[in-house]
Amino acid sequence: MLLLSATVAVLLGTTLGLLIVTVASQRGAAREAFRSQEALITASRLQGSLVRIENGLRGFVASRRERFLEPAEGALDRYPRQLRRLDGLASGEPRQRRTLADLETRIEDYVALWALPLITLARDDPASARNVVISNEGRVRLAGIDGALDELATLKREVVRDNARRADRASTLAIGFGVGGLGLVLVVAAGVAVYLGRSVVRPVREVARATGRLAGGDLSTRVPAQREDELGDLARSFNEMADRLQVNRAELAARTEQLEHSNAELTRSNRELEQFASVTSHDLQAPLVTVAMYAELLERRHAKELGEGLELVDGIRGATGQARTLIRDLLDYSRAGREQPSLEAVPAGTVVEHALESLAGAIETAGARVEIEGTLPVVLADAAGLTRVVANLVGNAVKFVDGRAPEVTIGAQREGSWWRLWVRDNGIGMDPAHAGRIFEPFQRLNGEEHYAGTGIGLAVCERIVESHGGRIWVDTAPGRGSTFSFTLAPAIQHTAARAPAGVAGR
Amino acid sequence: MRGRPFAAPAGRALVTLAALMLALNGCGGGDPQATPSVQEARGEPIRIGTKNFTEQYLLGELYAQALRAEGFRVELKRDIGSSEIVHQALVGGGIDLYPEYVGVLLSEVAGVTERPDEDEAAYQLAKELEERNGFTLLAQTPFSDQNAVAVLPATAQREDVLALGDLARLRGEVTIGAPPEFASRFEGLEGLEEVYGVEDLRIDAMGIGLQYDALDDGQVDAAAVFTTDGRLAEGDYVILEDPRGLFASQRVAPVISQKVLRDNGPRLVETLDALNARLTTSVMREMNAEVDLRDREAADVAAEFLRTRAPGG
Repeated sequence: MLLLSATVAVLLGTTLGLLIVTVASQRGAAREAFRSQEALITASRLQGSLVRIENGLRGFVASRRERFLEPAEGALDRYPRQLRRLDGLASGEPRQRRTLADLETRIEDYVALWALPLITLARDDPASARNVVISNEGRVRLAGIDGALDELATLKREVVRDNARRADRASTLAIGFGVGGLGLVLVVAAGVAVYLGRSVVRPVREVARATGRLAGGDLSTRVPAQREDELGDLARSFNEMADRLQVNRAELAARTEQLEHSNAELTRSNRELEQFASVTSHDLQAPLVTVAMYAELLERRHAKELGEGLELVDGIRGATGQARTLIRDLLDYSRAGREQPSLEAVPAGTVVEHALESLAGAIETAGARVEIEGTLPVVLADAAGLTRVVANLVGNAVKFVDGRAPEVTIGAQREGSWWRLWVRDNGIGMDPAHAGRIFEPFQRLNGEEHYAGTGIGLAVCERIVESHGGRIWVDTAPGRGSTFSFTLAPAIQHTAARAPAGVAGR
Repeated sequence: MRGRPFAAPAGRALVTLAALMLALNGCGGGDPQATPSVQEARGEPIRIGTKNFTEQYLLGELYAQALRAEGFRVELKRDIGSSEIVHQALVGGGIDLYPEYVGVLLSEVAGVTERPDEDEAAYQLAKELEERNGFTLLAQTPFSDQNAVAVLPATAQREDVLALGDLARLRGEVTIGAPPEFASRFEGLEGLEEVYGVEDLRIDAMGIGLQYDALDDGQVDAAAVFTTDGRLAEGDYVILEDPRGLFASQRVAPVISQKVLRDNGPRLVETLDALNARLTTSVMREMNAEVDLRDREAADVAAEFLRTRAPGG
């Protein structure tokens, strides 16, 4: 590439140099031609001056009238300048110099040995002057001068002709060089273009195409990278990038696949687990029912024979009852996680009433007082699920007390785009550090010996609330009672005016 | 001076002065080579003019070559014209010296018609006249080339024309082949009329030398000639006698500017005087014949003369 550039530069430089030289020589020729033209014109004027002198003095000699001399006097003043000018315009060429020297001598002789003496003679002795004029020496001298001028003109014309020829040659040469140089430049430029196309544009285009293919997803695309220059570096960089991209993409695909696999596994195991719970619940129900039925029959038909054995039967009945409760709760729990709730606008007040009705026995037993604070809102919820949550929370509230009469308050509060429903009690409370665990299945903070239950109620509540998109938590402290809160979306028609956009549909 | 003055080049005065001082030194120290070498070095040539006929060409060549042989730089300007114009050129500064005929100088240049009979007296008068104007004459030649009128022998015999006065006898208009100035010269038509009472003369003006052929062809009745003309040597023409002395003796002397004479020192004078002393009538006529009859170049003839008759030989 460098060599090519240098060659082009040298060629261009040479062409330019030759052009400059030829143009200079042409200019020199033109200048010399101009000088020659000037010399010819000056020579012609000089000749005119001499003729004017000769004619003037002849007229004067013939007529003795001074006015005939006037043009001659003017010409006598002029001719030295014209001669000097001619001298200045003559080139240094020896023949020209010789001819010019001869011319100068002839002219000086004509003036000094003819014209001026004759004028003087004509004034002193007109008759003699007339006879002298007849001898025609002046004309002879002028003829000699004309000859010298002609020779000078011939020499000058030769110079002009030579110069014109030289200028023509120079022009032809210049045009030749110009055209040749131009052609050369075009050829070189074409060569450079082809070379560039071959060596630069094509590799770059290949990389560009490969990039397109790469972007289109063909990660196996590679470009040839044998070159040692920047284009080679480009190609290698591209290939490296493609390599990395391919590796990354492969890793990503592998991980995605792994993730999908584990996801599917998880889903499957979850489903199996739930199915297992469901099936287990049902399957366990049946023998328990059978056991309870036999215990009933035993008590009814063989009460006399059993005697004190009746306590045992009660024990069996109590145990099967507990087992059935446990199984039912488990079933609820698994169902609560599995089924999507069918959401509708539900008046929370109505739901709370239903829940309190189902708990009427427990409330009465505990001597509890349940109050509803303010007006409860209409929320978007599954009525059955919501009823169970409220019943569960209120049931806990009346259950976990330390001998005092339980006081339960139910209320609702707008918080942002949610309704927070809360159930507050005056019960035993709990350590806030463990408050999170109470929503896990079968976790019980308080002794089983004191409080009945399977320990699954709050887990079910959490599942239901979360299936509604809300969350559930507890604010509590030991001996200070607890406030269970959960959030629900407001029903559209009631809250549309106040609810932020995007809340609808929750 | 009514004529156009010739301004000498500025540098010339200095050259002249220097040359003069050296020339004076040369006189005192007796170094004969000093002057020519200076002349050569200073490069201010002596310009010799000549009139427009063969004898003048020869004299010009003789002067020029003799002076060059002595180391002088010389410019020879031949064929300037008749005495009238040549003398005017000398006065005007166009030339420094030229060979002139003493008689012509007196009659045609100075306008002296009453001329001394004696050659020496004429010479002294002419010299005196020239010296009044800043010029002078060098030594005159032994030979005399007088003006004359020649006719064909046939004419002389048939018409009995032997003297100038006899021309009046010729019938009708008499035509004389002559240079144009003959018409206005005392030693020409004026004198012929005045001295010999010849009238009805007409000049057929022609270049000097052509009149012999015109005479031969019958184009003219008579011809104005010079007595040293080569063509007269063969005896083909009859020179009319001049009993009343219209045509004065015409020995030749170089007319020279006194300034140039001073500038160039005694060697110039010595050289030209020595040369002139050797120019006898026979020598001159022979040389004229060499040129006019045998078509030789004046320069060659002069060179030959200078070579074969070296000074002191």
